[in-house]
Amino acid sequence: MIPGKIYAASRMRSDHPGRMARRRRARLTLGAVPATLATCFALVLAACSGHAASTSGGTSSSADGVVNITWQTMWSGATLTLLSQMVSEFNATHPGIHVTESNVPSATGDAKLLSEIAAGDAPDLFTEWNPVLGEYAANGSIQPLTPYLTGSYAGLEKWMYPIAAAGGQYNDTLYALPMSMNSWALYYNKSMLEAAGVSSPPTTLAQLYADQAKEWKFSGNKLDQIGFYPNYAQGFEYFGSFFGAVNCFDSTGKYDLENCPGAKAEANFFAQYAQYPYSSVAALQTALGNVVGGSADAFVAGKEGFYMSGPWEGALSIPAENPSMASNFGVVPFPGTVGGPSTFGQGNYNIVPKGAAHPQQAFQFMAWLAGYNNETFNSQIDPKGGWMPASPSVIQQPAYQSWLKANPWLSVFVQQMSSPLSVTPKLTKSESQFQAAEATATEDIAEHTKTPQQALAYIDQQANNGAGG
Amino acid sequence: MQVTAPAIRALRSPQARRLRLGLLFVSPWIIGYCVFYLYPFLATLYYSFTSFTGIGNPQFTGLANYRGLFHDSMFRTAVFNTFYYTVIEVPFSTVAALGLALLLNMNVRGQAIYRTLFYIPSIVPVVASSLIFVWIFQPSFGIVNSLLSDVHVNGPAWFFSITWSKPTFILLGLWGLGQPMVIYLAALQGVPKELYEVAELEGASPWQRLRRVTIPMISPVILFNLIMSLVLSIQYFTQAQVIENPPGSPGDSTMFYVTYYYQQAFQFLHLGYASAMAFLLFIGVIIVTVVLLRTSSRWVYYENDQR
Repeated sequence: MIPGKIYAASRMRSDHPGRMARRRRARLTLGAVPATLATCFALVLAACSGHAASTSGGTSSSADGVVNITWQTMWSGATLTLLSQMVSEFNATHPGIHVTESNVPSATGDAKLLSEIAAGDAPDLFTEWNPVLGEYAANGSIQPLTPYLTGSYAGLEKWMYPIAAAGGQYNDTLYALPMSMNSWALYYNKSMLEAAGVSSPPTTLAQLYADQAKEWKFSGNKLDQIGFYPNYAQGFEYFGSFFGAVNCFDSTGKYDLENCPGAKAEANFFAQYAQYPYSSVAALQTALGNVVGGSADAFVAGKEGFYMSGPWEGALSIPAENPSMASNFGVVPFPGTVGGPSTFGQGNYNIVPKGAAHPQQAFQFMAWLAGYNNETFNSQIDPKGGWMPASPSVIQQPAYQSWLKANPWLSVFVQQMSSPLSVTPKLTKSESQFQAAEATATEDIAEHTKTPQQALAYIDQQANNGAGG
Repeated sequence: MQVTAPAIRALRSPQARRLRLGLLFVSPWIIGYCVFYLYPFLATLYYSFTSFTGIGNPQFTGLANYRGLFHDSMFRTAVFNTFYYTVIEVPFSTVAALGLALLLNMNVRGQAIYRTLFYIPSIVPVVASSLIFVWIFQPSFGIVNSLLSDVHVNGPAWFFSITWSKPTFILLGLWGLGQPMVIYLAALQGVPKELYEVAELEGASPWQRLRRVTIPMISPVILFNLIMSLVLSIQYFTQAQVIENPPGSPGDSTMFYVTYYYQQAFQFLHLGYASAMAFLLFIGVIIVTVVLLRTSSRWVYYENDQR
């Protein structure tokens, strides 16, 4: 059919005697389209707002009086399985509260949390890496926990290790409770040490340097084995307590690593290792990390003589990724630590976001997760996650003592937790910028693009004058 | 206000009805555009003049964020890295994709298989392919350096070398050539055969046929791919974010514009500052696109062009 004929046919149809009735029907139909669309739109909005009303902040109270709360985390894999066990245990032992765990990818977790807070749809609690807490507290996105530290919770802060309590404080106010703490020490590969002709692990920085120097292996241009390389992906801050370089502020409260003797000593320590090829180390570590989703490293793979890491390395990574290493490693306090063994306190903390619907119940769950009045269960879970408990009370539990007996290397981490020299970085609102600057500066030392002093000046400049609002 | 009879008639006229109907049918798009494009755009512009962390009320700071950007050395580094990547990657990938399309347009046995093989990489998720390339370019045991060592060449550290990191990302860009290649291929098949026959009769060599017939005839498609490629290069992010740890390393050599934007927005919560960056990026993309379109009249040939 040619176009002209279509046109003619359509004209003929419009002249049909019943056209008025059809036009009316058509008008009715067309009139119904916007109405239908508007109704659908309204229904969608109603459904959304209804959802928001019933699950505001992901929480609701059911008819039987049970308070439903949502716990948002950013974990995956084996740790997520542990979280499920913890939630099940809490729900079974607390009939008045029902916790639902909601997992978001870590890459977008912070952004999602902020969006939820801004939209008034925050979860009841959220697990965060504590360095960001300063920023969150400063901009008012999280709630202080002070109102809940009464009655049976009055002794909660004192129940924790001092570094654990300090890790949740901003401007001397408690904003977060730890779920898992870190403690750092030096792992060594026994067979590599033996092959290097060294009979015992080092106790001084000079010994560490000399011992590890015997362990590097190259095949031509290829790196086959690392001795020790502190500069890669382990921030300046993690080594800070060993050098007395944590919390280097001037009298006005600004970061001042440039004039901090501990920070200078640490930067020089890093520079000492800059003679080894950073690019080869980074390539080896990244490739190994990619094999199992980023948790493997050269030490786990049996390709590094010494590695500064936390209890998760021996408790979780090695058994899961390279069991043949399980009997081939030892742990000692970091050699030459200023003043005696210490660690840098950081960890995963739970926070109550602004706008959480049931902060009281969230706090109750957070305290339980920290192990408060829950030492027995906590002492069974912490070792599985490779986490340090938040309180010495958990360590004293029979289950934890059995774990320590079976894994004597863990005692180094435990002892450091209560050391008076252990320190938590003071939370500031530019801690994230400080850490990003540290990572860049550490790498710059390794790449010979900055001297140690220039690197320290760069960190100060970035952390103090961080651009932008 | 009294509505006059002509006004009522105009409202009830067939044209007005058709307009209303038309608007009704495009309303889902209009609503989507306003909600998901226009509002975010205007909000970004507003936030760029504020100090904002995502929570609470933004504090108006005037041009402070823009002034901050021009004094921010990392911002300059990010602009330079992005410029470097774009200036080399875009011509490189354009020539490679066009060359590949020309080869795949030749009448050879197994043509469909070759086309499929060259297209397949572009449907592999970017994160997965990035992780694969970490291994391919791994300096100690990666396949590239292994092959180079077979011919007695010491391969560089690729992604982990300050000198080689950006060129390696440019090489990685070749992995995603399938998309423009298919578009070129479709354009090549649309070139009338008669033009080649006439050119052949006139004694044109294959090179002359390519220069005088093929390229002019597919020049609108080259322009399209060029603009798309430029925009994507300026917004380069995912591969660098996945591969480098910390992002931007080694030595800030892979700190691309969007990598820095992401760091400011979602790591430091400087949403006002990041909004200023986003707006400058938008301006940059607009300028580049307009310049390309303006200059295109000199080299792009449209068959129905009256000039």
